[in-house]
Amino acid sequence: MAETIKLVDVTKCDGCRACMVSCKNWNDLPSEMEDFHGSYQSHEKITANTWNVLTFNEQERKDGGLDWLFRHSSCLHCTEAACEKACPENAISHTEFGSVVVDYDTCVGCGYCVQACSFDAINLATYIDKNGKEFRKAQKCTQCTDRLEEGLQPACATACHTGAIVYGDKDELLSSAEDRLAQIKERYPNANIYNPQGISGTNTVYILADKPTTYGLPENPKVALSQIVWKDYAQPIGKMMLGATTMAVIGSFIATNLNKKNHSSEGDQSHE
Amino acid sequence: MEFTRRQFLKLSGAVAATLAVVELGFDDKGARAKTREFKIAELKPTPTICPYCAVGCGILVYSKGDDVVYTEGDPDHPINEGSLCSKGTTVRQVYTSEKRITKPMYRAPGSDKWKEVDWDFALEKVAKNIKETRDRTFIHKEKGLTVNRTDSIAYLGGAALDNEECHLLQKLFRAGLGLTYIEHQARI
Repeated sequence: MAETIKLVDVTKCDGCRACMVSCKNWNDLPSEMEDFHGSYQSHEKITANTWNVLTFNEQERKDGGLDWLFRHSSCLHCTEAACEKACPENAISHTEFGSVVVDYDTCVGCGYCVQACSFDAINLATYIDKNGKEFRKAQKCTQCTDRLEEGLQPACATACHTGAIVYGDKDELLSSAEDRLAQIKERYPNANIYNPQGISGTNTVYILADKPTTYGLPENPKVALSQIVWKDYAQPIGKMMLGATTMAVIGSFIATNLNKKNHSSEGDQSHE
Repeated sequence: MEFTRRQFLKLSGAVAATLAVVELGFDDKGARAKTREFKIAELKPTPTICPYCAVGCGILVYSKGDDVVYTEGDPDHPINEGSLCSKGTTVRQVYTSEKRITKPMYRAPGSDKWKEVDWDFALEKVAKNIKETRDRTFIHKEKGLTVNRTDSIAYLGGAALDNEECHLLQKLFRAGLGLTYIEHQARI
């Protein structure tokens, strides 16, 4: 299967927020009331029950004009995902569509992924089980993997009426992004394609009208070295040690038992 | 330490079994990402028109029993081609919201409380008030011209009305009752 991505062209966005609502509608997420923060933005940031937030950013131009910059912000589905590396339970994994999803059965709600994420896109939701006990699970945008499996588009891309969010073939969309970038360069000199290579690209690629930092995106996100060491080296070695120890214990137990048998049945014929 | 053939087999079997158990712990790459059940599987969508603004986008309503589980822009509709605005996307809540009012409500003159009433009461009350107000305020002539109108009643229509309904409502309110204040909710 050809690789697919979600392309978000912020210059086409008119800030209607249908992506936010359609996400809640498809994923049956409860609404979250927030106080007025002094801007048009409805929610301050992504939360466990608000998987995508349309950010409104007022930016003064050098010529005295104003740029009102919108961005559909949600999980970027990094190719090298820090959350996946941070997860001690291997509850976070990549799907065949390149989306990063949380296995809610395995997740223990430790919150390591929340700290690891460079984009603040994953959060812990608190639930109450049938005994009244609180438990937590990591929640974030799934890129509507359940819809993708059925051949549908993500809910946000379906709802978007300006075509700012499109989902489709990776190569096709990336080349169309280059064309679009050439078109908007005159209006937005700082425009760029945000597909950070430090994490081998993301499955949500942005065409930004200004520098990533203006949109609150890290210039060059990376998976922390400590996490790589932990997940790719320390953890497997630790498991191996655990395995080796278990093997040694069981092995020696059996060997001792056999020896004992030897002693009892064959008298003192065998000595160590 | 010497082994008989039997002991050697036992030991190697134990090692193999231990390895097999330990191996299970290593096998994390094969774990396929699990996603949830497809919530509109086997549901037949019902097409409808968005009730909010005058654009009239098409919406597909996925209902299960007497619950609406999902609504989405109708991709076959020529106006919106599957997309929707943030307000149209919330149309599911018209049915599912706890705040939805399902019975006629009546606030008596001077009262500060709404109370539930039945439809007969509500319709009769509306009809009576329209008749009474129209009779009281009807203007036949103004400056020598026949006007036959009332300025005391206004009518507010909605975007969910189609052309035929609007035609009938114009007939009833403008031609029939003589209203001049006829407006539309989606006048922007």
